[in-house]
Amino acid sequence: MAPSAGYTSIPAFLCLIFVWATTASGTPKDIFTEELFIKPLSRGYVYSHFQFTTKWNASIHDSNTFRHYRLFPKALGEVLAKYGVQELHLSQTQGLWRHKFWGYPVHDAPPGAELWVWFKPTVKDIDRAWTELVNAVSGLFCSSLNFLDSKNTVVPQWSYRPQGTAAPGYSTFSYHVRYGALPREIVCTENLTPWKKLLPCDSKAGLSTLFNAFHFHDASYHSLGLHIRPVCADVDCTEEAIELSQSLSVVTDVISTSHTGTPNWSLRSLFGNHLASTCPVAAKSTIFVELTKNEDSHMYRLTPDPSSTEKVTRGPDQHTYAVYDVQSLMKSGRVLNIAATFRDPPVLLSVEPPPIHVHRYITGYGLDKGGISCLIYNNMVVNQSIIYLDVLPWFTRVFFNSLTVTNNGTRLPFKVHYVPGKDRSRPHQLELSFNLWPHSVTQVSFTFTRAFLKWTEYPPDANHGFYIDSATITAILATSRGYTATPQHSSCLESIMTDNSSRFPVRLHTESLLVSLPTPDFSMPYNVICLACTVVAIAFGSVHNLTTRRFEKLDPSAKKGILTKVKGFLSKLRSKKASPEKQTNNASHPEDTDTSDNQNELKNENSSAKSSS
Amino acid sequence: MAKAAEYLIGFFSIILRIGLMQTNLPKWLQSRNEVVTPLTSWERVEEGLALQDQHISPYSGDLFHETPLALRGLKIANYCPWGVSGFFLLIDIITMVFLRKVAVTFREHLLDDQNVNKETYSPKAESLLLTPKQLSWLPSVILAVHALNPFSIMTTLALSTGAITNLAILLAFYYLIAGNRLLCTLFISLATYQAFYPVVFLVPAGLQFYKNKRPQSSTKSYVSREAVTSYFETCSLCFVFLGLLLGASFLAEGSWEFLQSTYGFILSVPDLTPNTGVFWYFFTEMFDHFRTFFVCVFQLNAVVYTVPLAVKFTEKPVFLMYILLVLTAIFKSYPSYADAALYFSLLPLWKHTFSYLRNTLVVAGMFITCMVLAPILYHLWIFAGSANANFYFAITLTYSTAQIFLVTDILFAYLRREYDLYHGTEHKNADGTKAQIVLE
Repeated sequence: MAPSAGYTSIPAFLCLIFVWATTASGTPKDIFTEELFIKPLSRGYVYSHFQFTTKWNASIHDSNTFRHYRLFPKALGEVLAKYGVQELHLSQTQGLWRHKFWGYPVHDAPPGAELWVWFKPTVKDIDRAWTELVNAVSGLFCSSLNFLDSKNTVVPQWSYRPQGTAAPGYSTFSYHVRYGALPREIVCTENLTPWKKLLPCDSKAGLSTLFNAFHFHDASYHSLGLHIRPVCADVDCTEEAIELSQSLSVVTDVISTSHTGTPNWSLRSLFGNHLASTCPVAAKSTIFVELTKNEDSHMYRLTPDPSSTEKVTRGPDQHTYAVYDVQSLMKSGRVLNIAATFRDPPVLLSVEPPPIHVHRYITGYGLDKGGISCLIYNNMVVNQSIIYLDVLPWFTRVFFNSLTVTNNGTRLPFKVHYVPGKDRSRPHQLELSFNLWPHSVTQVSFTFTRAFLKWTEYPPDANHGFYIDSATITAILATSRGYTATPQHSSCLESIMTDNSSRFPVRLHTESLLVSLPTPDFSMPYNVICLACTVVAIAFGSVHNLTTRRFEKLDPSAKKGILTKVKGFLSKLRSKKASPEKQTNNASHPEDTDTSDNQNELKNENSSAKSSS
Repeated sequence: MAKAAEYLIGFFSIILRIGLMQTNLPKWLQSRNEVVTPLTSWERVEEGLALQDQHISPYSGDLFHETPLALRGLKIANYCPWGVSGFFLLIDIITMVFLRKVAVTFREHLLDDQNVNKETYSPKAESLLLTPKQLSWLPSVILAVHALNPFSIMTTLALSTGAITNLAILLAFYYLIAGNRLLCTLFISLATYQAFYPVVFLVPAGLQFYKNKRPQSSTKSYVSREAVTSYFETCSLCFVFLGLLLGASFLAEGSWEFLQSTYGFILSVPDLTPNTGVFWYFFTEMFDHFRTFFVCVFQLNAVVYTVPLAVKFTEKPVFLMYILLVLTAIFKSYPSYADAALYFSLLPLWKHTFSYLRNTLVVAGMFITCMVLAPILYHLWIFAGSANANFYFAITLTYSTAQIFLVTDILFAYLRREYDLYHGTEHKNADGTKAQIVLE
């Protein structure tokens, strides 16, 4: 490179020197990988998970880290640096992940938006940092995360532990974590656009060219995730690194969206496009298709043939994956359209419930008292200890003494961390830890009473009801049945292929709930104010009358009724009117009878005045 | 004879309550928001006890609003024979014992008062004068009214802790008539500690104990130095007791957090659960920027009547206390049937003025209508969804109005009888025609 530079002009030479200097200064500090994981689910659903991982070999605690950026998005880096973030996990989801039918996703997410953050131990005022952070993140992703105020933020004690490395100098004490969720948040294209702008190739090249908002929002479930955590830079963990993992999960109901009604799918049918490029800055570009169930039954056939087929034993269970190395496949210049063709007639994958799944629902009727029940199914042959976290808004006032954990009518012992809610400032936080018996259904239940809100506290569609956050169940399983998440040390899907761990942490989000609250009549605040004040005035007036006046004797005949008073007043008026008229034009007025009447009345009045005096 | 009747009524009253406890009625009443409020609900006491067992401060949440000493005291309720119901039955029995004592002492008090003022009465008011024979049935009547009073039956069955506050007020009332300053102030401070509003009973107490000290009515001035000293003594006694109670609460609880959850809760009215008062819907519909102002106005309204009434009834502290009891029961921030229970049971004390009542029928009709319609309209609003909040609001307004009519009617009747005592029962004009008596 250097000798050829001699023949070119001087500015070009300098430029080349610079390029050489930056690339030659050792291995790049950040590595970007793009991956797509496709898993055919039962009943003709297909789960596609895009995983974009940027690993940046720099310490999140080093103040110099966030001065120079390459692949890591600067907008995000600035937010992390400003608010002292150690770990940040954001998910924006539309639809409900159905664990019972679909197993576990790579990143479990509740309907709506969820944000949980571990702050660095150096952050002094965490509540303030959280408030500012949610506003910043809200702006960054065009979401309403700024509504995560003290009314729906909790400090989980046992759930939501740090996901990254834990070394001295990292927060592990739960005081540094904040968790908040907005179950009502609607996820749409305005959230997807800022999210994909954080990718080094945006959606111009690589796997992200498959992003098609129309197909995503037509899906049964789609979830945007963003996870930042500190990880180890190497196997020995001598250096720290920051890992940004961006994920997009879609579950497509292939049968009902295809024109032919068959469970056949291809990249084109799932995303409306085939794959024609890779992201140039990506170190690796891979597509995985899980074939675990297809191994013995051969329900479908993949075209084109995968680059390799990997068999992985994770814990006691074996998984099979077809691996497509997109970069090498693209070298041939052809487009890639991975397709699965089912046998005719098609045999669909059967439902195999995962080790643990949950169902949560509201009990009770009417708008007075209610309850929440959560059924936790353990399909394993062993005991399983879990942590249950439920966050309820302040207006569903939870009765702690009604809390029970039962298994087939037997009360189970549990450990509890309960923070009662405070009106208009703090939600109810319930964290339980207990054991699930083998092959059993455990029920967590408690009751609550609904608060009556002020009329200004209701949303515009008050009778729609209020959403309650999903509960979360955290467990560490010994089996990897239905498990798709990556091992702890890396978010790259590739690391699954070399996973040899025997413990698989899962987090399950239950259904979010909709609860109706009693509503006042919104149309008549003035009437209510007037009526209530009238009642008070009746009391005040009566007491005032009785305490400030005295009883007096009064002659009823002397007391004039309202009719006589009016009559007297009228006649007085008339006589006044008549007398000047009489004086001025006496002759022209022939109404003799009238005047005589007036005179009579006058006389009467005089006599009554005498008698009263 | 009268004594036997009293025992019989007492016995009947207990049997009636035990009988009703066997039905589904208590369970239903425990959730009726006309009977129990967030302040008096037993369900919330249990919640407080459960939180305390878990070493979570009951005051860190917004469900429990009892005072710390009540929380500790109510623990014993679970160890009573027949459990909590037995405890509330016991409270009811003690209430009956003291109602009887109140009636007996009040009977003497009435006759003494009459004897002192007899010379000043009009000779034409002979027919109004009370005789011991007339009053001999007073304890039986009081007990009978209490036995059949639906409000007190409901309070006992619903396990409303308002019954305990009521007992404290009743004891204060009893010792006010009996003239025991120490015990009277003790029970006023206890009631104040529990429910805050009974603090206004200090005014009748101050007047009564000064009146007792100087029996010569002619030389008595209620603004003299001695009088003020006497008021001050009564008040300081009460505040010393109150201070001790609050201090003990602080020691038991370890923080002042409970003040916000009890008195803060009473004064700032954050809970808008429907009840029988005027606060809940008013503050549901109130505009936020006027809220503080109207909270102040409404809270002031609950106690402001003390001033004109104290001026008017300086000589009649017992009646003053009764009227204040009714008025605070109407205008407190979380009223319930429990508050009505006490003043209804004490109502027969003024039986001698009943002939002057003007709208008994209207008031009785309003009360019955409200008691029947309130649960129905609540059901239509909350469960059936076929009515809205206005229906229930209308019924609570009517209930408040009925109570206001009742209290003003009693006031009127009392004043009217006083007038007749001094002016005779026959009112004639100069020309011999019948005169009318009006407020001028």
